[in-house]
This record gives sequence, C-alpha cells and structure tokens, in this order.
Amino acid sequence: MRRLVSVALLIALVGLLIGCAGADPDLDQNTFAPEGDVARMQRDILIVWVLGPAAVIFVVMQALLIYAVIRFRRKKGQELPRQVHGNNRLEYAWTIAPAILLLMLIVPTVAGVIELGRDAADDALRVRVVGQQFSWTFQYPDLTDAEGKPLTVFGLPGEVGKPSTGRPAELHIPVDREIGVTLESVDVIHSFWVPKLAGKLDVVPGRTNSMWFNATKIGSYSGQCAEFCGFQHADMRLIVVAESEEDFEAWVADQLEGGGAARSGAGEPALVSYGE
Amino acid sequence: MVGALRRLRQEGESYQGVWSWLTTVDHKRIGIMYGVTAFLFFLMGGIEALLLRIQLSSPNNAVLDPDQYNRIFTMHGTTMIFLVVMPLSAAFFNLLIPLMIGARDVAFPRLNAFSFWVFLGGGLFMNASFFTGGNILKGELGAPDAGWFGYAPLSLQSAGTGIDFWAFGLLILGVASMASGFNFIVTIFNMRAPGMTLLRMPLFVWMTLVTSFLIIFAMPIITVALFQLLFDRLYGANFFNFEAGGQPLLWQHMFWLFGHPEVYILILPAMGIVSEVLPTFSRKPLFGYPFVVISGLAIAFMSWGVWAHHMYTTGLGPIANSAFGVSTILIAVPTGIKIFNWLATLWGGAISLKTPLFFAVGFISMFVIGGLTGVIHSIVPSDYQQQDTYFVVAHLHQVLLGGAMFGLFAGIYYWFPKFTGRLLHEGWGQLHFWLMFIGFNITFQPMMILGLLGMPRRIYSYPEGAGWEWWNAVATVGALLIGVSILVFMFNVVLSLRRNDQAGPDPWDGRTLEWAIPSPPPAYNFREIPTVRARDDFWHQKYEEDETGRPVPIVGGGAQEPEEEEHAEGEGHGIHMPSPSFFPLIAAIGLPIIATGLIYDAAIVAVGVAVLVVGIYGWALEPASE
Repeated sequence: MRRLVSVALLIALVGLLIGCAGADPDLDQNTFAPEGDVARMQRDILIVWVLGPAAVIFVVMQALLIYAVIRFRRKKGQELPRQVHGNNRLEYAWTIAPAILLLMLIVPTVAGVIELGRDAADDALRVRVVGQQFSWTFQYPDLTDAEGKPLTVFGLPGEVGKPSTGRPAELHIPVDREIGVTLESVDVIHSFWVPKLAGKLDVVPGRTNSMWFNATKIGSYSGQCAEFCGFQHADMRLIVVAESEEDFEAWVADQLEGGGAARSGAGEPALVSYGE
Repeated sequence: MVGALRRLRQEGESYQGVWSWLTTVDHKRIGIMYGVTAFLFFLMGGIEALLLRIQLSSPNNAVLDPDQYNRIFTMHGTTMIFLVVMPLSAAFFNLLIPLMIGARDVAFPRLNAFSFWVFLGGGLFMNASFFTGGNILKGELGAPDAGWFGYAPLSLQSAGTGIDFWAFGLLILGVASMASGFNFIVTIFNMRAPGMTLLRMPLFVWMTLVTSFLIIFAMPIITVALFQLLFDRLYGANFFNFEAGGQPLLWQHMFWLFGHPEVYILILPAMGIVSEVLPTFSRKPLFGYPFVVISGLAIAFMSWGVWAHHMYTTGLGPIANSAFGVSTILIAVPTGIKIFNWLATLWGGAISLKTPLFFAVGFISMFVIGGLTGVIHSIVPSDYQQQDTYFVVAHLHQVLLGGAMFGLFAGIYYWFPKFTGRLLHEGWGQLHFWLMFIGFNITFQPMMILGLLGMPRRIYSYPEGAGWEWWNAVATVGALLIGVSILVFMFNVVLSLRRNDQAGPDPWDGRTLEWAIPSPPPAYNFREIPTVRARDDFWHQKYEEDETGRPVPIVGGGAQEPEEEEHAEGEGHGIHMPSPSFFPLIAAIGLPIIATGLIYDAAIVAVGVAVLVVGIYGWALEPASE
C-alpha cells in the first residue's frame, strides 16, 4: 500500500514537472521549467544532487520497512525471536556511509552559494527594487532622462484592509544580459521571487540585499512576494518582461520621453522619495 | 467521554469529584488532564486547518477573506506546536516517567500541577484573542495575524491586540514549559529506583531528559525575544524598529535559535515512544540501544547550530549560509542512525500487527520522507527556490504530523490500557490508522509538487491558471480524510471506554516497569519500590534466555504485584503521598490576569499580582501533609 502510494506519487511528480502543467504562461511559476541561468542551476543541483539520490533512498527505505513488517510478522505458534541487542559493525557502517554521502553534498552547496552570492558582473544592468505593502517599484539607476532622473516603474501600493487592484508592476529586462538587483523595503520584510528565473532573496527593511539573474529566453515571467507581509501578501505580484535588446532600448526610450516616471499601471507614483 | 473517565477513576481509586481534579498533584491525573486538554486544542487546530484547506481548495475562493485567513493560519501553527504537540508530549512525560523509573511521583508534584494549570491558562488566554476583533459571529476575528513565527516588523505593525495576546500567551506557556522541564530533569536524575542506572533507562525516559534540557535552554531565548517585541509594541522600544536603527533580523535569529531546538522538542518524545513501541511489538529488545541514546543526544546538541537554515534567503552572505548548510546536512547522520536501528529492531522479530505498531511504522515511513526533504532543504543554492513555498509546508508536516503526531498516536494506543484499564478497539484503531495515513499522504505529498510549481506559503488565494488547481483540490480532500480519521479515533475512545475490555496489567507483554503494576495504576504506583537488575527489567522478570539467545518464560515470573491483592488490601498501604493542593491552580490563574492587565489596564495587573502572590504564599506555607 505504502509502496503503491509512493510510486504513484513519484510518477505523478515526474510526469507533472517534466511535462509542465499546462499553466497560463503569464502565471506559470514552475521551478522545473526555468528560463534563466540561476533557476536552471538551482533545478539541476536539486535533481542531480538531492532529489535523485533521495528518491532512491526513499524507495529502498520504504521497501525495507514494508518487507520487514510483512516478512517478520508473527505467525501462529511462533516462538519468541532471538534477542539481538545490536551489532557494532552495522552501527559504524550506517553512521559512516551516510556521513560520507552527506559530506559530498557540501560540494554543490558551497560552490552554489559562492556562485549565486557573487557580485553582479560589471556590465550587468543595474536595477533597484523597492518592496512595499503590496507592490514593487523598479528603478534603473543607469538609465536617466535629460534631467538626470532615473527611469522608475512604480507599482500601485495596496492599502491594508482593501483588496489590491490592477495589473502588477512590470520589470522590463533585456534577454541574455545579466541583471544586478539591489533590494530594499520601506515597511516590512518581503521576498523577491521570480521562480522561472531565480530563487528568492528577502527584501529586508533597514538593509540592502543584492542578487543577480538573467533570462535566457524572450517572454514574460510571473513572480510574487515570497515572505508573508500582511493583508494582501498573496496579491503582491510582479511580472518580468524579458525582451530583445532592441525592444528593451525602445521601451526605455519611450518611458524616458514620458518624463522618467513610468506609465505602467495608472495613478500617482507612490515612492517619490525613491525617485531621485 | 468525561463521564466515562469519571466512572473509570471511581473504579480505580477513591474519587472525590471535580474538586479532586482541580487540586490533584498525582502525576497520572495531571498527565490525563494534559492529554485531554491537548486533544481539545488539537480539534481546534484541526478545524482551523480544514478552514484553510477549504479556502485553498479552488482558485479565487472566498470562504475566508485575507484577514481571516492570516489570523487562522497564525493560530493553526501556534496551536499545533505550543498547545498540541508539546503538551501531548508533556502528557506522556507525566503519565510515564515516574512509572518507568520506578518512582511514586515526580520530584515536585505541586510544581507539576502548576505547569498544567499555567499551560491551560496560557492556551485559553491566547485563544481568547479571537473574541477581541469585534463581533466574532460576523467573522470579525481578533486573533494574531503575523504568522506563528511573528516576524518583525510585521508583528510590530499589526493593529489590534492579537499579537499582544499571542506574545503574552507564549510567555505564559513558556513558564509552564520551564517548570515542567526542570521538574522532569530533577525527577529523572534523582527519583530512579535502585539499580535503574542511566543506561538501563527506557529510551522514552532518555528522550524526555534530552527534551527537558532543550526546553530549559530554548525557552529563555524566545522569552527574551517576546519581551523585546512587547516592549517595542507597548512601550515604544526599538529593538526591531528599523526606522530607529533596530534590527528586524535580530528577531529571526532569536526566534529560530529557539525555533530549531523546538523542532526537536516536538519530535524527540515521539521518537522515544516509537523506541518503546517497536521492541514490545517485535518482541525483541531495541537494536543498538546505546547508539539510539547517543544519536538522540547528538541531535539535541547539533540542533543549536542549525537555526539559520530558516534564514538562507535573508541575505546572511555566502560564509554563514555555507556553514549552516553544512551543519544542517550533518544533523541527518544521527537522525539516520535512529531510523536504521528502528528498522533493525523490526528485523528478525515476531511482529504483532497491532494499532500501536501500525502508527510506529507509519511514523518511520513518514519521518523518512521528512528527513529526506530536510536534507533537500539543507542544500542552500537550490533551497533558494523551495524556501517559503509549499515544499516547506509539506516537509514540516511530514515531520510534525506524519512524524510527531503519528508517534504520539502510537503512544496513545499503546498506553491507553495502562491508564484506563481498557484496550482500545483494534479494528477501529486500524481504520483510524489507515484513514489518517492515506489522508496524510493525499494531503501533503501534493504540496511538494505545489512547492516545485512555485506556490508560495501563506497566501490566502491564488489565481486560476497557475497550474496549482488540481493539487490543491487533492490536498483538501486528503485533509478532510484526516478529519474523518480523527472522528473515528474519538468514536473508538468512547466505544472502548464503554466496552469494558479489561486490559489487565500487561496486555502487550511489555518490557518496562509500568507494565508490572495494575491498570490503572494505584495512586502510589508501586507498593514497594522495585529494584532494577537489567535494561527492560520487567521483561527479564518474565523471560530468561537460553544458550541460543531465545527467551524462555520463567515460571511465575513477572507476577510482581498481583492486582487482586491491591483490592483486598484497599487504599494506601500506609504510603505517604503528597497532599492535594489548590494553590498551584490559584498561582496559575494570576498569570493570564496580569497579561490581560498589561494589554488593557494597569489596575488589572494589581489584581493578577495579588492572585499570584496569594497562590505562591499559600503554596509555600501549606503544611506538607494534612
């Protein structure tokens, strides 16, 4: 029974994740269908180093357990079993063997942490991301208008106690170019997460976290706040629009002509102090 | 159920009404009260869980609004951890520790009663917050809304008094846990029967000792953090207020420095129970006893060095993340040792397939998944994707529901006959197991998939088209199935108490001392304090081993304290037992009153302090025996 359940689940898992769930591309957040180098690396580490071996260990352990319970169940008139108290060799074996296997996991862990934790490349497009309840604001410090004001895309902040409205803020990026992101919050802790492009990083008030990522395919990628931030946490969404270098340039020019403040979403800019 | 329990006690010993329960200092009665209270809170937390699952069963659902959802998931987590798994474990400590070590009670019986009443008061106080949000009948809830982890600064910003109730409630519960932690450490060190050396103690006693140490070191940390939070909220301090230079991440460090040992506070007692159940039903001693003990100690020790794996994505930097990644990877080694030894205990046994064994094996099966997903989470770079998703929700429930609660249910089925004198019905018990096991897998394994599909935790709703609809619907069906299984369990308890299937002192052919005395045990437990000659002493009174290592029954063995004699001689045997006292109850009532006053009005504080002082003075000056 247990084995059947687990095998069925494994098959379901593999089938579902490989075949993609047929989700709306604007809402798809499948971490197993990455479109960026960071997310791809994270998926590969997960499958090769842990999910694969864990699946094998899972099947072996459950099989041993089921076998033991069935094979050694008490039969009618059976004598009491031999009173085995232990076996030191076995103990050493199942201490040392798993320890060695587990120590191997240090390699991808440390290598991955260092690679993902490095500073963004010098030629990366810099974006300043500001989280606030319950929206995102994106500022490109290197893309300025004639007056020197940086291009800023304002999200519509929600209001505590009111459902959020409108389309989430869009973060436009050129495809195949590294994006260096700094993260700031003006109120509570949020977490910046675009699952198909990169794992999350928290947006903590009072400090600036930074990360890098890229998109390797033109398209739009759904993301959302991943740290519980209050009333409308579920609706604190964003969309990353990855476009060709030309399209991106055109979008930038169009936005800057508009005076530096973006026209995505309607309404007043929320974070005036972040505009300079 | 209460009525049946009442009848039960009347048969077992002299019963003197409700008053005797309010004033009892008997560890067994306190244990029963802990268990029943924790189970009632389990129903509460379970109903909250079902509400959450119903809300999430389809996209854009509106059964709960976001505000209600946030409050209910906060209370679900807080309830299940602090009001269910911890006190249910405490129920087993209370019921079993004196019996297993051959003692007549715990070291400080009145302190023990105090622990229980404080726990009850803290739990009721915290749940009272539901009524502070306006008209509860209109769905206006006042419960805390910042998650069971209460991250600052969200918990500072939260309006209303929900967070204050939450923080004071946890502080009150911390008092109960600290008192009980010290009580059991002293009991285990000082009250063991002659010959009960440390390495002859049953595994459950060991795990209680380890858990108690974790409690007394972990609780002070969250106490400090909660005081800081309350000072920020009530008196304008700035510990976590970033605008004034405070550190939001300080809260997370303190919370998880408490919170990760807390995980082991929740799971180690269940591991102890499983380590008792498996040998009895395999009719073999626990395989590798010293290794199981040492791995328990190792887990407890290492649990202090892994807290920041809850904080991988907060931006601690590559060095801290690598260090905590490595320590988290390594804590899997002692955990693995336990699992292998349990498997080896079953191996070569003569396993009787009774309900406690089903739950114990279910525990191992689910805990293997919990452990493996734990290793998956320890890999920092890939965990940046799983952190704060439903993958984590699946993992923690595999450990705490599939793990801790399955282990605790194994304990309930195993020791129910000891304390009620009646066996739980086998058929209904197995139905309970299978429904719960299948329901559990249908609920939580899909959540792993949802997490990989990018569904974050703690969202009250999700849009149509994200690819999450099917698995959320499946998970809700599973949750309802778990709910049905709990109804089956409750039915089984009522049925079994009425059915009067007398268990006798030793229904399972047990190995440890509690099976040597009548069921339910008399107030004084052991007429004569036993002398212990071996690990699994009671088993060795019943069996000796022939030259091939097979046990041979000893004629007349094990009949140490025949039950008939007890009734013939009646109550007492001239054994001095601690007198009942209502002062622990009075002292305990003072704490929630003080907390209420600190939230609403300083004048009420004076009342609470007066009650507390009366309780403590009366307690201190009370004559030792009436």
